[in-house]
Amino acid sequence: MPEPEEQETLLLASQGDLEAFGVLYGKYVERIFNYVYYRTGNVHDAEDLTARVFYRAMHHIHTYTDRGVPFSAWLYRIAHNLVANWHRDRSRHQEIPLSDAPTIHYKGEPPETALMQTQEKDALLRQIRHLPSERQHLLILKFVEHMSNAEIGETMGRSEGAVKSLYHRTLLSLRDELEGLDIEE
Amino acid sequence: MNRKVKQIADASRDKFNSMERRLSGVLRPIKPRKEFVYGVAKHIQSAPQTTFVERVTSWHVIAMILAGLVSLAVFLAVVWRALESIMGKKRTV
Repeated sequence: MPEPEEQETLLLASQGDLEAFGVLYGKYVERIFNYVYYRTGNVHDAEDLTARVFYRAMHHIHTYTDRGVPFSAWLYRIAHNLVANWHRDRSRHQEIPLSDAPTIHYKGEPPETALMQTQEKDALLRQIRHLPSERQHLLILKFVEHMSNAEIGETMGRSEGAVKSLYHRTLLSLRDELEGLDIEE
Repeated sequence: MNRKVKQIADASRDKFNSMERRLSGVLRPIKPRKEFVYGVAKHIQSAPQTTFVERVTSWHVIAMILAGLVSLAVFLAVVWRALESIMGKKRTV
């Protein structure tokens, strides 16, 4: 459920208050960007889609109703739909290797140490992007957002136990697939 | 037997933990470019108020339906009077 302060901001934003919507944007832009970045694998599309998520949210915020789930869940749903459309439109598109992608700065680290350059990391990221979208979402919330299973459950509309079980299965399948890759190599 | 099961379980847990370590090394928070963040914020702040669709309440819907019915009644009355007047003229001729 949104915090009381956020509920007030949401109410104002839903009545057309651009400043209130700006506050929500400032609070969630990094989270949505991270989600979209890890789902698409390149910064340019992540920026484009993140902007579209917030424009769409701005145009539809009057339809937002508090059903006891975090506001971020609503934004993630918009982001998920846009990413799904992006994948559909780009079914023939060739993936850009992350080593060719523009420089990405990790929080609190100098850029030179922040680059993801190793082949192992690239392979793991590629493998993550081949997972079903729900599992990718779970990993992003867990490792990028450092959310607890309960918080992830709230955001994804699942119970804490279901999240725990999905997480376990996801890691096992990733491990098996990576082991399969090692054998092939 | 028990020792063997324990060894398998330990090995599996180690692999699981190693997978978690690998993931935490790869999936890390990324800061979007400041220019991008400010650019979108600026666009949001300068968006015309008309881009916000006004919430249509049930009161608005009822008012619109009533207005529509009144307009239709007026239109029908005008058409009826026009027809009446045309028919009246024909009869007198």
